Amino acid sequence: MIEVQNLTKTFGPIRAVDNLSLKVPRGRTVGFLGPNGAGKTTTIKILTNLISATSGKAMLNEVDVLTHPKKALAHVGAVVETPEFYPYLNPVETLAYLGRIRGMHSKEIKERSNQVLQEVKLEEWRSTRIGKFSKGMKQRLAIAQALLHEPDVLILDEPTTGLDPRGMVEVREIIRGLKKKNYTIFMSSHLLGEVQEICDSAALIDKGKLLVYDTIDNLKGLTKIDKIEVTAASDFSDFMVGKVRELNGVRAVDVVNGRTFVITYEGPFEDRADLLLAIQGLGAKVTGFSPVGLPLEMMYMDLVKESR
Amino acid sequence: MAMADGMKTEHKTPSDITQIPIVWRYELLKYLRSRRLLASVGIAFLVLALIYVLPPALGQPYSGTDRDEPIGLMSTDQILPSGWVGPHPLSAGILYRSQIDLSTFQIRVNGSEYPSDNGANWTISRITYQGQGVYVVLFMQNLTDKVVTATYEWYTSPQSFATAFLSFAGILVVICATFFGADALVSEFQNRTGYLIFPNPMKREVLFLGKFSASMTAGGIVIGLFYAGVGIMSLFQARGIDADFAASLAFAAEYLLAAMAVAYVISAVLKGTTGATVLTFFLFLMIFNIIDGIALLTGVKLTASLLFSAGVITYILIDPYPTDWSQTFPGGFNINNFYPDPATAALVMVLWTVIAIAVSLLLFRRKQLVG
Repeated sequence: MIEVQNLTKTFGPIRAVDNLSLKVPRGRTVGFLGPNGAGKTTTIKILTNLISATSGKAMLNEVDVLTHPKKALAHVGAVVETPEFYPYLNPVETLAYLGRIRGMHSKEIKERSNQVLQEVKLEEWRSTRIGKFSKGMKQRLAIAQALLHEPDVLILDEPTTGLDPRGMVEVREIIRGLKKKNYTIFMSSHLLGEVQEICDSAALIDKGKLLVYDTIDNLKGLTKIDKIEVTAASDFSDFMVGKVRELNGVRAVDVVNGRTFVITYEGPFEDRADLLLAIQGLGAKVTGFSPVGLPLEMMYMDLVKESR
Repeated sequence: MAMADGMKTEHKTPSDITQIPIVWRYELLKYLRSRRLLASVGIAFLVLALIYVLPPALGQPYSGTDRDEPIGLMSTDQILPSGWVGPHPLSAGILYRSQIDLSTFQIRVNGSEYPSDNGANWTISRITYQGQGVYVVLFMQNLTDKVVTATYEWYTSPQSFATAFLSFAGILVVICATFFGADALVSEFQNRTGYLIFPNPMKREVLFLGKFSASMTAGGIVIGLFYAGVGIMSLFQARGIDADFAASLAFAAEYLLAAMAVAYVISAVLKGTTGATVLTFFLFLMIFNIIDGIALLTGVKLTASLLFSAGVITYILIDPYPTDWSQTFPGGFNINNFYPDPATAALVMVLWTVIAIAVSLLLFRRKQLVG
């Protein structure tokens, strides 16, 4: 379980984290969202003993990492930013080093190293010095070291950063697998689709303050704005587009091409049917009427805009 | 992956004491694989080779044979101390060699062999004359009007031999502090390896001590090999090892400890590895030297200076231990020569070590991985 209570971190006059409180229950996967400079990484750095807090508590499995970091981090695996590795070691040696620090025995280190290196597709590079690794390979190894000791809690700071599309999919698969095994996972990400796809809940912060923290389903429902792509069998006339702009709940119409435009619509979900009927009533032979963009993205833009 | 909930292996985090050797082992591997240790050992052997090879190549060998070396004789009144007891010689000569193999010593007078006859004709003794070991040949007859020559094998004394080499021990210590200490802490921040190591269940103090012990091990290997090299060469070339050789090694180890601790302070303060490395090197070779030089010029004995105290590494070899002296020249110009007291020097180096370790540890604990 992860819990931060009234956590505050200031850098001179800047409050990077401002009285933040949130709780990640055991076995849950929670996404941590926010724009650049919102305080996500600062919060994660405090949780992983990389920086101190100005005030508040940061609990990992009910132990405050600020006062008892060794005990608090005993069952935690973390990937913060893209860490650098000691270039003179290879992956097997790196995992052995970290495993020994954590009290793992040689036999167990060997077995687990094989498993996690296979999981992150680095088994062929097991004996190559890390100094020669690409950023993506280092990110995979970072995930491997976080999983090595089978932690209860995983703290991941943008875990797919630096990976190619295939690597991103693979890492998401790994996290999904861990989620099924009841790990407590707290992950920050810029990729809202990733959070929507993987996480049970998400916390959104901006300027160090928590804006909202709820389940993904509830967060989707928070947004009042939809974007709907409308496609017709023949070209829309300018007159018809003008009429659509005047319809109830329509905030904007962006023409994509002669037969397609995107409506920014604000209104109850069930009123979309009336919108479709109204467009058809204008004489358009509608062949496509579907929402575009992720609900979480809409919510994110909506809330961040409000907070600023 | 076999990580289902409830099937995980529980690990007991090792104690602080048992984590230190783990860090030590992998830090030492860094010095081995980055070839810093190899380079430092190479420098140590290069210094040994240069001091061993260059003086003979430039006409100053460490041993040799003097054949028919003329002995300038003088009246014994000029050299015998007052109250001299024993047989009263009538003439004497001095041979400026630190060690002579007496079993090979032969005297010729006007080209003819002149045996000692168990001291009836002459005796030879080693004395300290004007601060250095010399040999005095005492003749029972007045031979000042004769051509007296000597043939003998000579070699450098263990003290002179060791002093020539160990005067470079201090520089080697600085090289070790620079190579193994200057970037030890700052690299975790600048190279971002802190993101990997800090989120582990290990106190910063443990990481610090593991690193420091690895730095000291690497430095100790270099200094140890250097002293071993000097010792072995001294055995062969000077036919023995100076009695204070071990004391010099102990002082060198103490200086290494203090210099490494100072390097760790710089590593904890600065933000870049290059700056830390350059500053460490120049602090010892330039800044501390300037401070000591100014103190000497102004006639102040800077007992608290680390560099001044480190002078004991070579001074301890000199018998008797040198004492401070000053000389005033016409016009009021002074020349001062100060020597650290061995016990005080040992204490000063311990104090530098303790304070520097405390400061660097405190700074390392507080340093944050921002940016």
